[in-house]
Amino acid sequence: MSSAVSQQRRAATGGGLARPPSHSVASRIYDSAWTYRLIAFAIFATVWQLYAQAADSLLIPTFTETVEGLVTLLTSPETYQAFLLSNQALVIGFSIAVIVGIPAGLAAARYPTIEAFFDPYLSILLVTPMAALIPILLMSLGIGIEARVLLVIVFAIPVIIVNSRAGVRQVDASLIEMATSYGATERQIWRKILIPGSLPAVMTGVRLGLGRGITGMVIIELLMVAVGIGNLILEFRGLFEPGLLYGVVVLVVIEALILVTLVRKLEYRLAPWSRGSALSE
Amino acid sequence: MSEVRALNDQAKTLIEFDRLCKIFPARGDDEPVEALKDVSFDIKDGEFITVLGPSGCGKTTLLRILAGLEQFDSGDVRVDGQSVTGPGPDRAMVFQSFALMPWAKIIDNVAFGLELRGVPKAEREDRAMRLIELVGLKGFERRLPGALSGGMQQRVGLARALAVDPRILLMDEPFGALDEQTRRLLQEELLAIWEASRKTVIFITHSMEEAVLLGDRIVLMSPRPGRIVDVVDVPLARPRSTTIDTIEGSPEFAAITADLWHRLREMQLFRPSTAEAVEADAARVAS
Repeated sequence: MSSAVSQQRRAATGGGLARPPSHSVASRIYDSAWTYRLIAFAIFATVWQLYAQAADSLLIPTFTETVEGLVTLLTSPETYQAFLLSNQALVIGFSIAVIVGIPAGLAAARYPTIEAFFDPYLSILLVTPMAALIPILLMSLGIGIEARVLLVIVFAIPVIIVNSRAGVRQVDASLIEMATSYGATERQIWRKILIPGSLPAVMTGVRLGLGRGITGMVIIELLMVAVGIGNLILEFRGLFEPGLLYGVVVLVVIEALILVTLVRKLEYRLAPWSRGSALSE
Repeated sequence: MSEVRALNDQAKTLIEFDRLCKIFPARGDDEPVEALKDVSFDIKDGEFITVLGPSGCGKTTLLRILAGLEQFDSGDVRVDGQSVTGPGPDRAMVFQSFALMPWAKIIDNVAFGLELRGVPKAEREDRAMRLIELVGLKGFERRLPGALSGGMQQRVGLARALAVDPRILLMDEPFGALDEQTRRLLQEELLAIWEASRKTVIFITHSMEEAVLLGDRIVLMSPRPGRIVDVVDVPLARPRSTTIDTIEGSPEFAAITADLWHRLREMQLFRPSTAEAVEADAARVAS
């Protein structure tokens, strides 16, 4: 990744002026994408700090206050309990979304009858603002874990289905024909062609679904069921503790980044032949 | 001309096309297409047949029907006396688009047909390795297809077809996507492999030179409806793999290629649909 970025950057500076590859420490720092990421972050933090100090508002913490809040949170058992509670809904809901969504999407791509069954509902899920479903879920399921799990599913499953379906559809038709000509059965076509061929797009769907699942997990806690992470955010807002409030948000962002990075790693590992070629939303 | 292939004249008939018809049904506003009309033709065991014609003449459809990938409407296709009802182990196809699995190593691509047939791993890898060597790709067996050039990828396609040891090799414009130099090399190699193995080959092409260079006989097809207009014997001596350059410089080669071009050109210029369109145009102008 970093080498690709530096190659692009080198290419952008013009072929004639490209420096010969060198391995000195200075050039490695110069070439690393992390160098630029850190510079960008430093600029961001500075602007934040200056703005918050100038605004001098109860609701806008400075960068340093946020870091302090983060440290307080990380040393408090309450934080871990909240994250554990919220993530229960994520783990259960996201697992169900993956287990149901992938086969549903794969099957829909090849068997029109199966697609006809749930296509209307999939379309509804794709276009409806999900938050609008929350009151309905709560009325029918109460404020227990069931509603939170279902919301994570409802958030995550559409992109998983759509990407899995697109994954099978984008498998080169000549490969299916080739397998058929060598006598492959439908089962063999699935195992040898369709599943490996759709894997990159399926994994993209899983990664995007995870991001949306995390969104769903936090949204329902903020809007309706004040437990876990959402409860922490609401509580710190009520107490006018902006440093802690921002700290919670930063923790959620960090969790999401870690999880999505893990899935991306898995994606590269399972489908090394097609880095970055999969579909997005 | 037939004394050139005296040996094959005694060989038995392997493939029979018997008044084969195929119509693609109408789609939307389009008319139904008569892809093949009354195609009858016999191929002997061990023959190298090239099929030549302009696009839309049904040559690929003919091959796909023989491969068992396409249904037909009437008539019959028989291999060794048996009607073709689907793909079979006696036929293997080489595709214009190579059709390699991008996630599978070269050795696994070559062994794919054997894998589908349940040949044990050690045995199929052993056989795949021998074919990889035969097509000159030794050392690349652990690479992915994406790391190979087009010419190398089609060698893999050829090795995969040969790996299942078919009686009949079906080749659908296999070198059509390759550049001139690569194409020449692969033609030489295909000839050498064929001369050593004497499989029956049906080779679709739109190149006159390729049709003459490779084939014992050239099946000339014409579009709308797709039909066979002539079968041309190629009076060039075998083996040809080592003498391609001499052949291409010979007067026979020039004469037969010129004749083919003459006829193909006529097909393109005076095909019925063009004539009708011209007439319709004239009528419109007159009124």
